[in-house]
Amino acid sequence: MAMSRDDVFKEVQEVLVDALGVDDDEVTLDATLMGDLGAESIDFLDIVFRLEKAFGIKIPREELFPAESMMNNPEFVKNGKLTELGLRELREKVPHTDITEFQNDPDINKLGDLFTVGAIVNYVDSKLNAA
Amino acid sequence: MRFILIDKVLSLEPGNAIVTAKSLSLAEEYLADHFPTFPVLPGVLLLEGLVESASWLVRLASDFAHSMVLLKQAGNVKYKSFLAPGSRIEYTVTAKTLEADASSFSGYGQADGERIVEARFALRHFNLADRDPAMARVDKNVIESMRQRWRLLSND
Amino acid sequence: MRWIWIDKFVAFDSGKCASAIKNVTLAEEHLHDHFPGFPMMPETLMIEAMAQTAGILVGQAMDFKEKVILAKIRKAVFHDFVRPGDTIRLDAQIESITQEAAGTTGRITRDGQPIAEVDLMFSHIDQNLAGKTFPKENFVFTGMFESLVRDIIAGGAPAESEHR
Repeated sequence: MAMSRDDVFKEVQEVLVDALGVDDDEVTLDATLMGDLGAESIDFLDIVFRLEKAFGIKIPREELFPAESMMNNPEFVKNGKLTELGLRELREKVPHTDITEFQNDPDINKLGDLFTVGAIVNYVDSKLNAA
Repeated sequence: MRFILIDKVLSLEPGNAIVTAKSLSLAEEYLADHFPTFPVLPGVLLLEGLVESASWLVRLASDFAHSMVLLKQAGNVKYKSFLAPGSRIEYTVTAKTLEADASSFSGYGQADGERIVEARFALRHFNLADRDPAMARVDKNVIESMRQRWRLLSND
Repeated sequence: MRWIWIDKFVAFDSGKCASAIKNVTLAEEHLHDHFPGFPMMPETLMIEAMAQTAGILVGQAMDFKEKVILAKIRKAVFHDFVRPGDTIRLDAQIESITQEAAGTTGRITRDGQPIAEVDLMFSHIDQNLAGKTFPKENFVFTGMFESLVRDIIAGGAPAESEHR
């Protein structure tokens, strides 16, 4: 099934509208899941389940939303900021996300800002094309 | 168990918003099953508290025109923490739309500064007599009971 | 009032789907408040009936080792009300299940007539709520629920394949 990036975006938009109870027009590519759309831990799981169903792919939660397990690891986080090791780990885990800006101030509270709608679209797109 | 999931109305902006409270007590029998050794207010009863709060906004806005004010739809109801016996939860419900026969709301419950529940939901309102004129008396009785219940809750 | 909102399982396909029924009877006290003069099963208690049906299905899929609790009502839609004397049927399906959580979909019907759709998410709490402590034993799946499931899993009723 060859889906264009635009088709992927529309599908992702629908998933987020259903999972988060937000309006269509709030779900822009730049919108952050946590900051703009109000997503939380339980929502991330709901989103993963719905994306799996919508696209017929398997999504290990760690691949899409790795943040939480990282936050509790002292090797990755020190004084509220990601360490070099942490940044490397992050880069590996979320190759579909642009972390250049985040690197300038790797505050863990800002980790949530990385998870944008666009990042999800990139992830799904790459999964579909790899299949 | 009596099926009334709020105890008191704290504030009211007619047609717009309402704040209510419910105190939880070990005297509430169902807690023995939910859960044994870890009693907490069941999630659906947290939703019921929000729904009841909203339904008062509806009833007051129409001056108790309808007997039936029922949950039509609920979504994104998230349970973030637990409410234990001895605690009191405050429900804040805001109307998004409020028409004669349908309404929609967003609401949350908070206890000791902590969010316990959040929800979005819609209600539908009607009289049984709309379908069956013979039910007009039943509507009247339900409405009278609801008026009485409102007096109890609002300390009127 | 007991906090048990289903009476009997009528089908159980471990890890996949299950069906239960609940009788609604005037003997249930809460009906007399909802509403006085016109008793009906509160919608939120119908959600709970589905949560128990689906929750047991999920719990059993993990041998009742996890404390499975309701974390999110993804969506609940109601089409009609239910009265004393009615029997409702709850059909639940596991959509996804992982170590930390499970997603289910479900339908409630009365004599084949649609009453509601209820989609839920459960959390397996020891794996999830960091910072909160819980009693060690599994307080969610007590003897009360075990007895509901025991007969049907031991081969009491067939795993009906009419799960949609």
